[in-house]
Amino acid sequence: MCANAAAHSVELVRPDGRTETIRVENGETIVDAAERADVAVPYGCLYGGCGTCTAELLNGDVRHRASPRALKTRSLDAGYVLLCIATPETDCRIRIGHGIQAEVVGTPWK
Amino acid sequence: MSTDNSDDTTEHHAHEHRDVEGPGYPTPAAMRTESGREQTAYVMAPRVGMKNDGPGFVGVVDLDPASDTYSELIDTVEMPNKGDELHHFGWNACSSSCHAEGLSRQYLIVPGQRSSRIHVIDAEEPRDPEIVTVIEPEELFEYDLSAPHTVHCVPGGKIVISMLGDADGELPGGFLQLDQEDFSIDGRWEADRGAMEMNYDYWYQPRHDVLISSEWAAPNTYYPGFDLDDVEAGKYGDSIHIWSWDDREHVQTLEFGDAGRIPLEVRMSHNPEETQGYVGAALSSNIIRFYESTDGAWDWDVVVDEDPREHEDWDMPVPPLITDILLSLDDQYLFFSNWLHGDVRMYDVSDAANPRLVDRVWAGGLFGDRQEIQDKEIRGAPQMLQLSRDGTRLYWTTSLFSSWDNQFFPEMAEEGSLMFKADVFPDEGRLDLDEEFLVDFGDAPGGPARAHEIRWPGGDCTSDVWQ
Repeated sequence: MCANAAAHSVELVRPDGRTETIRVENGETIVDAAERADVAVPYGCLYGGCGTCTAELLNGDVRHRASPRALKTRSLDAGYVLLCIATPETDCRIRIGHGIQAEVVGTPWK
Repeated sequence: MSTDNSDDTTEHHAHEHRDVEGPGYPTPAAMRTESGREQTAYVMAPRVGMKNDGPGFVGVVDLDPASDTYSELIDTVEMPNKGDELHHFGWNACSSSCHAEGLSRQYLIVPGQRSSRIHVIDAEEPRDPEIVTVIEPEELFEYDLSAPHTVHCVPGGKIVISMLGDADGELPGGFLQLDQEDFSIDGRWEADRGAMEMNYDYWYQPRHDVLISSEWAAPNTYYPGFDLDDVEAGKYGDSIHIWSWDDREHVQTLEFGDAGRIPLEVRMSHNPEETQGYVGAALSSNIIRFYESTDGAWDWDVVVDEDPREHEDWDMPVPPLITDILLSLDDQYLFFSNWLHGDVRMYDVSDAANPRLVDRVWAGGLFGDRQEIQDKEIRGAPQMLQLSRDGTRLYWTTSLFSSWDNQFFPEMAEEGSLMFKADVFPDEGRLDLDEEFLVDFGDAPGGPARAHEIRWPGGDCTSDVWQ
């Protein structure tokens, strides 16, 4: 088996539609891979607790390496993922942006 | 005399220990009357959740009206990492160690609320601060603590920081103790946390053997944003906790229930003789007075109660959301901010149990009749407050917390926060917005930033405790 077989390509789609594709090594988180590639992605706590890195998985599969505490079940079911603890299982396409966290939680009283 | 270097002078130590140098003032009145005007502000400026995110910074704002750069951000101390969410900060030493020879108010302890990373900034030169030490998150997680919040220096050469979560961002939180000289971690402050699960802000008064802490929620609950389902599920706080300062033990819970949802900032009277203070309950939007009763137990009363208000663009009546409160150094005035409604209020608390509204300023928010200043749209609403030591100038910033900002005032994520000033006339019970003053953190070098807690180099209304 080729040593690179487990690496995956992840296309990040920004709010303005601009895309960047990064290579994520086996077991590596998408935030770590993006940092390595000098591609800016939002993040905070880095352990899946804070939701700053919340993104929407458009295609492909990811695995959370730790409990995705910042997301409720309904958000996980709707396809939201936490890039600081997510590692791709396949090539992926993911929508990123600072506004996704608020989109997931909504605005109370509104 | 310049307040920025007030700790280097001996003028304010003209009391019984005048031969002893220390980092503060012998009494609240000494700080109020002898310290002079604030020349510089340090402002926490996080960039978490911004459109163009990057490391947060501690901003240096020029407050010297004689200066060419008055009302401008003149320097930034950028953090080495992204994602910290700079929020609240504090000094290595304050008036609680007034008689401690050799100590000076020199180092700012600057936690990352989200990253759990703690930075130490040397501010010996008030206009040229620099980071000297960084405590990495893993070092805090070793004590099963995360989410550092309130920093107070305490007698005995220590710094105590309230911590809101365990190493996974779950409950319970606790308190972390650092050494005041080398910033090494001593471990947990508390010997027995008893019934305390949630943590947030705290105040302490050794003269009365008390520490009082409040409740936000587990980091994993409040970090991702404000969800009313979490309130209904009982995941947000409704109590404050009374601790024995000497024994470091939890001794009493004051449970407010619906009368005090999400009690945040705790302010005891500055006068060390007093055994009372106030806590602002954000969600229920009321001010609760707590006090020691004759039998030594602590009791509480709601002394200000605000109502939610209908807004045509919102489905349900919106609460004011009291997010910060502040007591003047002479304990005569209480100020608080209604972050959703958009006003700052000034109350006469000379009769401590019966606050009297004397004035208010509207600026931004959902209901402010003033939505512009200096031809700019106001982004956010009054939030973190800081008062000049003499009680005549009130400053505030407009960001609450990155994820909550993005729910309620999303424009801050693109254009940054603002810093305001109002002139206070204590003799007249009046508060006037100063429209000539504005610091736009949207113009910060490196891109727009939020603006949160404010401190003065020589100490302020929320930094110092008198024993």
